[in-house]
Amino acid sequence: MTAEPGDGSFRDPSGFIYRREDLILRQVNRSFAERFDDLRASGLLTTLQRQGLLIDHEEVDPSLAAAPALAHAVLQPEPLAFVSYPYEWAFGLLKDAALVTLQAQSEASAAGFALRDASAYNVQLHRGRPILIDSLSFERARPDAPWRAYRQFCEHFVAPLALMAHRDVRCGLLLRDFIDGIPVDLAAALLPGRTKLDVGLASHIHAHAQAQRRSRHSSGSSGASRRMPAIAQTALLDSLRRTVEKLTWRPAVTAWAGYAEATSYSAAAARSKDEGVRRLLEAAGDGVVWDLGANTGRFSSIAASLGRTVVAWDGDAGATELHYQAVRLGAQPAVIPLLADLTNPSPGLGWANEERRSLVERANAGVVMALALVHHLVIGRNIRLAMVAELLARMGQQLIVEFVPDADPMAQQLLLSRDDVKPSLTIDGFRQVFEARFEILDDVPIEDSGRRLLRMRRR
Amino acid sequence: MIPQDLHLAYIDPGSGSMIIQVIIGTLLAAPFVLRRQIGRAYDALRRRKPASKSERDRLAS
Repeated sequence: MTAEPGDGSFRDPSGFIYRREDLILRQVNRSFAERFDDLRASGLLTTLQRQGLLIDHEEVDPSLAAAPALAHAVLQPEPLAFVSYPYEWAFGLLKDAALVTLQAQSEASAAGFALRDASAYNVQLHRGRPILIDSLSFERARPDAPWRAYRQFCEHFVAPLALMAHRDVRCGLLLRDFIDGIPVDLAAALLPGRTKLDVGLASHIHAHAQAQRRSRHSSGSSGASRRMPAIAQTALLDSLRRTVEKLTWRPAVTAWAGYAEATSYSAAAARSKDEGVRRLLEAAGDGVVWDLGANTGRFSSIAASLGRTVVAWDGDAGATELHYQAVRLGAQPAVIPLLADLTNPSPGLGWANEERRSLVERANAGVVMALALVHHLVIGRNIRLAMVAELLARMGQQLIVEFVPDADPMAQQLLLSRDDVKPSLTIDGFRQVFEARFEILDDVPIEDSGRRLLRMRRR
Repeated sequence: MIPQDLHLAYIDPGSGSMIIQVIIGTLLAAPFVLRRQIGRAYDALRRRKPASKSERDRLAS
């Protein structure tokens, strides 16, 4: 049995994630043994798990360790359907992840512990709720010690949320370049001046940036030995929580967020498409469903209603936000709505481009759905149909794809602004291109439209 | 049990960040306590206040 290193935990000296066969495991290193035993005995992990703040885990046979000479214990966390990254999250998910992190720090602090790090990468959307996934993030803290992860919390959560809420929601993508969080001095420079009037942002971003600048020019102590009374610690956490809660972003009716209500489908065509998608999903069998161009999640919810876990991608921040809010309300806990531009998906990032894996590398779909998507890529973004088929084949074993003829009103709308693109897409041509990578299993018409749904299996 | 060495603290807390949080926490402590007291007093008053007509209707339905 071989052990392969997992997602980006190699920087943590207390332990690391790895994969062994089908299991995802976390090794606790001997250097962390005493602290882990103390943490386990304190009951804090159980308290956090009961409150739904921390992923459940069980301790397994230490012989499963990846590096037995270094191992103290081995944990098997509850498996996640998919690991996503903060630059792929809706505004609301990043905000909820921040609040979960603060709540965990409050609980830890009450038990005499502290979160060692406040990385957004330590949170994942699991069963419709953000949850901490790193059980080794806690350590015993001096009762009067400042929070070591304060800076990281501000850079991973407060700075991006403030920029998204007060400048532009697309600023969330800065997290792709700043893998360790958006530096507070950069956030202070980019935020509008009026944010200096907000007590929370004036404190945690503007004054924070100034303090960092001053400390760089002075040769004083690291600040770690400073004392902070318990009430000041509680007030700091309360201020961070209030600052985060106050940050809001509501999507305007963007092209996609309004798309669900503004399609060219007649009522009969919409019903026929819903039925067709359901029938083809049933025929496709088990496995995680990837819904590409999911918009606000109409077809993701059909897949979820069949008991499937769905990773739902859309390129529009507004649509993804509306979709996340629906999931958050408990309507579809098995759906993970995420943000991605398929023509420029998340790349491999961090050390050796391997610390955070690319979107395509993480593709684990049993079924990929590409509904009303291909014509946007081909006509709107100049991607050749064969290249679209190739990418879809890399993402999953089966494909449910919608064919939209050039005569379709939505395709016509796209063609209107493109003098350089000649209409050429026929169902025969479409099938021929996809047959190079797939075996076509079903081809069903959508009533009252020229569109068709095709189910295929990767060759 | 309390770590004296910092080798496990693998993130850089930043000296400026450590200093500013002590200042922010200290400055906000008094307003925080005051707000908490007001909140508790408000909750206590609400508990004492008899249920309004709409609440009585809701409970009866």
